Amino acid sequence: MRKTIYIVFLLSIALLLAFGTLLGRAKKEVFILDTKTKFFIAGNEVKIQFTSNSKTVVPQLYIIHSYGKTLLVGTYKNGKLTFKLPELYAKKTGTVSWFLIASEKTIAQGIFEIIPNKNRQTQIENYLGPRSILAGGKEFTMMVAVPTDGLDNPVMENTPVLIKNQFLNNITIDTEKTKDFIAWKNIFSSRPSGKILVSTECKNSATKEIETEVYPNIASDFSINYSRNHDFADGNQITTLSTSVIKDHYNNIVSDGTLVAFIITNKTNIILKTFGTTINGIATGQLLHPDHPDFYTIKAYITGIAESNSFTIQYKAIIAKFNYAFSNHNRTLTVGPLKSFMNQLVPDGIKVTVKVIHENKLIETLQEDTSNGIVKFYISPDFYKAKKYRFEITTLGITQKSEIKNYDPNQQ
Amino acid sequence: MTLINNRNITRAVLILSFILINILLLLGISKVLDFLNSGADRISMLHLEKETINTYLPKVVWESIDNPGRVMEPNTLKTIEKDYLFSWYVKNKSLQDNSKAGIADYYTQNTRQNLYNTIKNNTKNEITIESTTLKHNPKLDFYSADGQLVVFTDKNVVEFQKVYQKKKLIAAVQDTATYKVMMLLEDGFWRVRHLQKIEKTTFPLDTVKSNSVFKIKGDKITKYNIDFTIKGINYYPKNSAWDTFGNSFNTDTISKDFDIIKNAKLNTIRIFIQYDDFGKADIKQEKLDKLKKILDLAESKRLFVIVTLFDFYSDYTLENWTLTHRHAEKIVSTFRDHKAILAWDLKNEPNLDFENRDKSNVLNWLEHMITVVKESAPNHLVTIGWSNSAEAIHLADKVDFVSYHFYNAIEDLVKETKNLAVITTKPIVIEEFGVPSYKGIWNLRGSNEKEQAQYHKKMQALFKKNNLAFMSWTLYDFPHVPDQVAGKWPWQKKRQKRFGFIDVNGKKKPSYLYINH
Repeated sequence: MRKTIYIVFLLSIALLLAFGTLLGRAKKEVFILDTKTKFFIAGNEVKIQFTSNSKTVVPQLYIIHSYGKTLLVGTYKNGKLTFKLPELYAKKTGTVSWFLIASEKTIAQGIFEIIPNKNRQTQIENYLGPRSILAGGKEFTMMVAVPTDGLDNPVMENTPVLIKNQFLNNITIDTEKTKDFIAWKNIFSSRPSGKILVSTECKNSATKEIETEVYPNIASDFSINYSRNHDFADGNQITTLSTSVIKDHYNNIVSDGTLVAFIITNKTNIILKTFGTTINGIATGQLLHPDHPDFYTIKAYITGIAESNSFTIQYKAIIAKFNYAFSNHNRTLTVGPLKSFMNQLVPDGIKVTVKVIHENKLIETLQEDTSNGIVKFYISPDFYKAKKYRFEITTLGITQKSEIKNYDPNQQ
Repeated sequence: MTLINNRNITRAVLILSFILINILLLLGISKVLDFLNSGADRISMLHLEKETINTYLPKVVWESIDNPGRVMEPNTLKTIEKDYLFSWYVKNKSLQDNSKAGIADYYTQNTRQNLYNTIKNNTKNEITIESTTLKHNPKLDFYSADGQLVVFTDKNVVEFQKVYQKKKLIAAVQDTATYKVMMLLEDGFWRVRHLQKIEKTTFPLDTVKSNSVFKIKGDKITKYNIDFTIKGINYYPKNSAWDTFGNSFNTDTISKDFDIIKNAKLNTIRIFIQYDDFGKADIKQEKLDKLKKILDLAESKRLFVIVTLFDFYSDYTLENWTLTHRHAEKIVSTFRDHKAILAWDLKNEPNLDFENRDKSNVLNWLEHMITVVKESAPNHLVTIGWSNSAEAIHLADKVDFVSYHFYNAIEDLVKETKNLAVITTKPIVIEEFGVPSYKGIWNLRGSNEKEQAQYHKKMQALFKKNNLAFMSWTLYDFPHVPDQVAGKWPWQKKRQKRFGFIDVNGKKKPSYLYINH
């Protein structure tokens, strides 16, 4: 019994001693940072060294880098504890926080910075936009250059970047300094339309050119005109409407494809429309001649942007009167032959309408198109059973009234 | 025997096996077709499915969006913020799992290579890092005219991380750093092009003058600078225990209960907010409205309220920290000026999670939560409801007053409180105490109603003598107790149902006489 007590006693003393020395030692662990450099150059070796009197505690270095976090194991030699930053972190710039960690405790911490490597070939990324702007000097395209040091690190702040641009005969070179990774410049359009070419240069590295299209500005007011083969309302020929060369405020011809609407108002205030798109600034619209005398008031618009002058054109009647005849017991009405302005037959498809009237009441309106200048109407006994009818015949804007015609209701 | 000759059997076997083979063949073909038809949802092409809600919600405050380039549109700013936070989220995730998932979506081609290298290096050394950022204070530096490029400085990002090697915790580290970020808009994503950690900047300190009703003076809580002793009770409505804000929420019931409490000359109640019930990070307005009604009612009855947050919450992983932060922030800041609130109790008995949820995790979570709640409501006090006096020493220097729950033998009360007072100079509140009036087959050594009354009588005498702040458990006996509270077994539940001063029929139990002193 006594023996066991002794053994337990001795064991506990041994344990106490061991624990005590451990505690004592832990208190005396000192790690002093030897590395005084605060800046390292990207791509070079980065080593952090501590002087330590510790033989047992092996701390690790926890690293927080812009692009990751990791834990480093040091090498211990002659009282110096050295940590080497992995290459993947050593080549990227930015501040690095380190924490010296032993048994779940941070025993020292600090930061150092990795700065861009000047000796590496500079590379430049360019971002140009908007890539299409309008002429006139109010709009601009923005050139943003992001120079990097060859390890894909943004260069030091205040690095000069040449931003060069060419437009027509002008070549401009500006020097902008980088700030927040970038050097940038707004390049304004001038009065003429065209192409702006932009490129940049930084530390003897130059980029390819990038272009921004300067489109003509929006159209200003324009004038319109017309041309036609003759001024007769023959329902066949075409009147061509065309604009002057439409230009913007700065004398640039508007972009091809600008839509022009021609708005036509006739004698009875009915509105007709025709459209054209510009080619080389000129838009044309086409308009069929009316089949009756009329006058058209015409004005063109680029909707919401510009308008033209307005003018009126006249269409003359091609005939003063026409012939018609009844045959087949008045059952067949033949209109024509209709003759045009030089006695030629009218084109096929001229509309002829006939109003059938009985005792001053409109019974029916019949309509046919001409063929070879002639139209025939058949007044069928099956439908028209009364004894008397009267007719009003209209074509080419002229109306002629027949006398009352008699019919035999029993006719088969 | 002649009926079943060999020939017929052979025939039947042949036919049956033919049918079987056909069925198997059809099944096989359909499986193959199924497989060929499966794939990504078409909607995923639109990137609509990615929302930061319930994923990653650190606090983001844009300092300024003035910049020499283009005027920033509010919508774009939101998209940039969302994608930027996702860039952090996928970075954190990749450090944790050493996987490349999602990185290509939020980092440009050159930049993602750096992260891949990190993953490779950490995989090789078996390093995993759980991390989260807590706060971002971005300031816009530049937004290009074509809206495709943006540069901003994210000032003083607070990062918290736990480093593991070979699955063993090496350390938990907090760091604050500023990041300069350049992002490009590529096929609908804002992607990080350059990311550079730079030295943190110094912020001017907030000089908001506190005009709180309750303050701490030495080891005393004061109300309008006059000493205030909490005499309170833990409160659930009788029929909605652990579900105050549920479907049976009724202001008439609560109002009557408050009258009972007020008539007992108590001055404080403690109520509980369940994390899931309030909608996690996406707080339900309906719940806030109910909470407001309770607080307004308390104010009208001149009762003060200790609101306990994060009830039934027990996931303390770094991944969800930001979500819990937004949860607390939303609730606390909504009521930051409410006069009825005495204190926010961050968590009921968090020490019970020490074993299963890692003690350091729980403590770190609580410590950061204190900051979040104090920032959101500088005029209210903060405490943590520890389940015993021994654990109450944790974070004692961070809370405004120390709370612990006392379910030990009566004679230990004064001793335990005094021991605690040696360690901390902060006021001490016995936030829960009580005994169930239940003696039955499940609990032969329990107290009956008379013994319960005796217990409270003795306790009140001690409170009076030593001028201690107390909050009893609880006003009512409960007809129903959810399984999550004490357990699902009857011997666990029965006890929990009978702690009240008033029984399930609304009759005052003998202990009611000693609800106060």
